[in-house]
Amino acid sequence: MNNYYCVVRLNKYTKVTSTAYTHNTRGTLLNNEEALGKKPLHVLEKIRENLERLNDKMEVMIELQKHGKKDAQPLSDAPLDVMTLLSMPDHLRKTAMTICRCGRATAEEISEQTSRARAVESAYLNQLVIMGYLKKERKGRKAYFYADRDNQT
Amino acid sequence: MSKIIAVHSYKGGTGKTLLSVNLAATFAQKGKNVCLFDLDFRAPSLFATLKAGDGICYLNDYLNGTCEIDKVLVDFSGQIPGSGKFFVGLANPSTEAIRDMSAKDRKWEMRALSRLLALRNALLNEKGFDYIVFDTSPGLQYSSINAIVTADLVVVATTSDRSDVDGTSRMLRELYNLFEKKSGLVINKVLDAASKAKRDEMYEKAKTIYQVPLLGVVPCFCEVLRAEGSFIFVRDKPDHPFTKILHEMTRKIEANELN
Repeated sequence: MNNYYCVVRLNKYTKVTSTAYTHNTRGTLLNNEEALGKKPLHVLEKIRENLERLNDKMEVMIELQKHGKKDAQPLSDAPLDVMTLLSMPDHLRKTAMTICRCGRATAEEISEQTSRARAVESAYLNQLVIMGYLKKERKGRKAYFYADRDNQT
Repeated sequence: MSKIIAVHSYKGGTGKTLLSVNLAATFAQKGKNVCLFDLDFRAPSLFATLKAGDGICYLNDYLNGTCEIDKVLVDFSGQIPGSGKFFVGLANPSTEAIRDMSAKDRKWEMRALSRLLALRNALLNEKGFDYIVFDTSPGLQYSSINAIVTADLVVVATTSDRSDVDGTSRMLRELYNLFEKKSGLVINKVLDAASKAKRDEMYEKAKTIYQVPLLGVVPCFCEVLRAEGSFIFVRDKPDHPFTKILHEMTRKIEANELN
């Protein structure tokens, strides 16, 4: 019997464990064996991808809860100009300035430059998305963040 | 290493343009390839200092997205002895352009910042320039803060004027520190700067009041005033003490002695 599990550390507050079990009912067992036997890597990639999506969603929810805006929607098109950068709290300014320099980057790439943890940068980037300063775009497993300069007229 | 240098000050008339032109010219004299940009869109001055001709694209056009940076750069290499390139990007001095630049909104300023940030790759990496020098507007102007965010090093020009000292120290705390910028202080128009006691006083002032490294102390030179900003001082007066001070400043920047 094959048991697969992945642990994803979301941030210092949250930790989620996801287990993909194979079942002992005959039909499900055959399906899992087929999937895991032929493409085990592909299945793991899928699980990881889904967990990362879950991770991102939870980070957004945590940020919304922190600010008491449970039903808040991302603001639209707030310009990320230097005066806005100046008025930001220090932790967000560092992330926002790094994304200004990079143009378009993942949380991983930002964390390499700021020397802070990827999960921390991911939370700050998602907060900047909620505030309307950044846009987020998924490409496969990766989530790219950028300031949308072109669509702002 | 500091490759992009913004020359800024709290008040006007502290010697930013004089420092910018002569810092850039000194680097060029040392064989470095330099780009000097006039980011003082409210009161453009390099146009007059360098006696540039008409029919060129301005930095305003590049920031507006209507022209590429190659068309903005004017080649002044022939005017500086030495093997380095000396290119200049000018601000449009016409009243209409000044009015236009002062009416830009936040979204435009955000795009202008991204175009300034793009210069690092376009000029330093692709065109092989060694240094970019920004001459800026005094105080908290959008164009100046854009230049500060883009720069690796901010050269802060200040004088001993009481309001300048107060404003500069506040600006260092509340602007450069927030952007985590490396800064170097230049105290300009100092009287009795030849005496060791005065120089020690300036070093102490930089350490206690401003809390940033001192890049240089420039005495009040009548010869500099007499030039009326109409020529490149370090080129025309190679043996003058002002030229030697500028050489020492560029040495400190090259050797990264401002930590």
